[in-house]
Amino acid sequence: MALKCLTRTLRSLTLSQPALLSSQAAAQPKLGAQVPSAISLYRGFLTTASLEQNRTLWKNMDKYTIKPMGMKKTGGRDHTGKIRTRGIGGGHKQKYRWVDFQRLRYEPSKEGRPFEEKVVEVRYDPCRSADIALVAGGNRKRWIIATENMQAGDIIKTSAVIGRMAVSANEGDAYPLGALPVGTLVNNLEIQPGKGSEYIRAAGTSGVLLRKVNGTAIVQLPSKQQVQVLETCIVTVGRVSNIDHNKRIIGKAGRNRWLGIRPSSGLWKRKGGWAGRKIKPLPPMKSYINLPSISAN
Amino acid sequence: MNSTDCSKQINGGRRCLSVINAHIQRHTGALSSVRQALWLTKSSLIHGLPSHITSPAAVPENQLLNQDERVQNAIKHARFWDTTEPRPKKEKYSNTLLHNLLHLCATLQPTHPAIGRRILAENYSLAASWKRGDDLFQVRGQNGLLHCSMDPLPRVCGETEVLETSDQILESFYPVSPTIDLQQVNVYKEEINCSGFREGYPYPHAHTLYFLETPDSNSKLRPEQFRAKMIMFTFGNALARAHKLYGTQSVLEHPITVQAVGTNGRIFQFLVFQLNTTDLSEDDGIKNQVWLEEDVELYDFAKVRPLIKRKEVKVRIPL
Repeated sequence: MALKCLTRTLRSLTLSQPALLSSQAAAQPKLGAQVPSAISLYRGFLTTASLEQNRTLWKNMDKYTIKPMGMKKTGGRDHTGKIRTRGIGGGHKQKYRWVDFQRLRYEPSKEGRPFEEKVVEVRYDPCRSADIALVAGGNRKRWIIATENMQAGDIIKTSAVIGRMAVSANEGDAYPLGALPVGTLVNNLEIQPGKGSEYIRAAGTSGVLLRKVNGTAIVQLPSKQQVQVLETCIVTVGRVSNIDHNKRIIGKAGRNRWLGIRPSSGLWKRKGGWAGRKIKPLPPMKSYINLPSISAN
Repeated sequence: MNSTDCSKQINGGRRCLSVINAHIQRHTGALSSVRQALWLTKSSLIHGLPSHITSPAAVPENQLLNQDERVQNAIKHARFWDTTEPRPKKEKYSNTLLHNLLHLCATLQPTHPAIGRRILAENYSLAASWKRGDDLFQVRGQNGLLHCSMDPLPRVCGETEVLETSDQILESFYPVSPTIDLQQVNVYKEEINCSGFREGYPYPHAHTLYFLETPDSNSKLRPEQFRAKMIMFTFGNALARAHKLYGTQSVLEHPITVQAVGTNGRIFQFLVFQLNTTDLSEDDGIKNQVWLEEDVELYDFAKVRPLIKRKEVKVRIPL
């Protein structure tokens, strides 16, 4: 960022050089002569190393791989180097396992058909609260978020077909919302079809499919907020794994430090209007479908 | 006909699934193992080596003079004496041990003249390709040591047993495809079969392959994957020979037998492969046969420093 600013200013200085010369007196015959003007217009050379930060460049891999990748911690600092989020830093080193959140990803040659995959192993992931499962199907393997009772050797199904009758779904299978019966517990919800799941991924969480209304479906998220999404969005059935995650006891300050949580300020501060229990009505239902606008003109 | 051939060339070749120097990835659990190698080579597995190979070992006239002592000396040389450092590295001692044992076997030549008709070859490049269903597979690479001989190995199984294998069904890996974990490469010349040696080589028949563990710590193979690699390369050798003698897509009247030994310096795996058919496109029919003896320990341990527990010497060093 700083390097880009530097190059931009240098470029602007050199571009403005002819203008400066013409505005000054015409004593200088040659344009390319060294002008000892007020602004020193020399092209400096770089004395520092590359100022680009490798903060997120470790994530730039185009080919999917199941091998764990080394991760760079940010410590709560943003691109300027200052702390943006307090209380983050340190902690055990973690390797990132690339989880495929788009459950309905077809293999290159087998588009369009429902497919099955076999769970090879279910393991702990240091980067999230849920467990992840290595599934293999056809010619590829990938990591997905494991559901509650997933074990090695299970076979899970992924399908995009919405039939007239609701499917009796097994836990761990992935179906579009339109194919599931009302009242199923779901997780890994995607709000736009094909985008990949962004909601209900934490340990032990699950959403509930409330109703299906002509082409859309309404799901209740774990925060009791309701969302309306298209019925072709894929969800997986069941609760996310590691359901006792919220019942764990940290036990000591050191364990929090291992998790990368730095201590908060010990100073007593007067709490404001944000503190205390609030009892409010639920926010209105959020709708993620782009309905054609019913405008008069 | 010509136009279709030209179009294949222009499109840049076919995609082919290959086992290049057995680049089998780690990390796979039940995948990428002996079962997958058996499916790829269309073979059935029999645990334990055939009796006519193991029985001559007990006969005293096939044994060396002072056999135990000489074998122990060979182990000691490999594990203790062959270095200036406190202990030799694994790839070094496994290599030395293998060569010592081969030398001991070769000293039996006066009584067994057939040994003189074999020679060791190292770092030869093998290439064998075959079709299985819709996909093209190939085995490539330089796998190590080979004993090649002037005469082919005799067949292990009779005709009746070979016909019985056609009743066995190959294992299904559903929903995983049996071609998982293989590299996809483009090939520009189909049907390459090369046993590693030119025509007119006096020792054309592959007798025994010897596999050592690769020193590359990135591609360390687990025992299952090591055995799978042994199967694939033995199959590749047999297939290259069969393609040269009999052509592709046929059931062999005289099956080709190749043996293999793999070791990590202490534990040995023995393998005998009989190629009965090169007709590998379908899943049914006569199968090839694999006899596999796994995890045979030559010695329990070779300690450089004595093991002392609670001031008592439990294991002395045998020097």
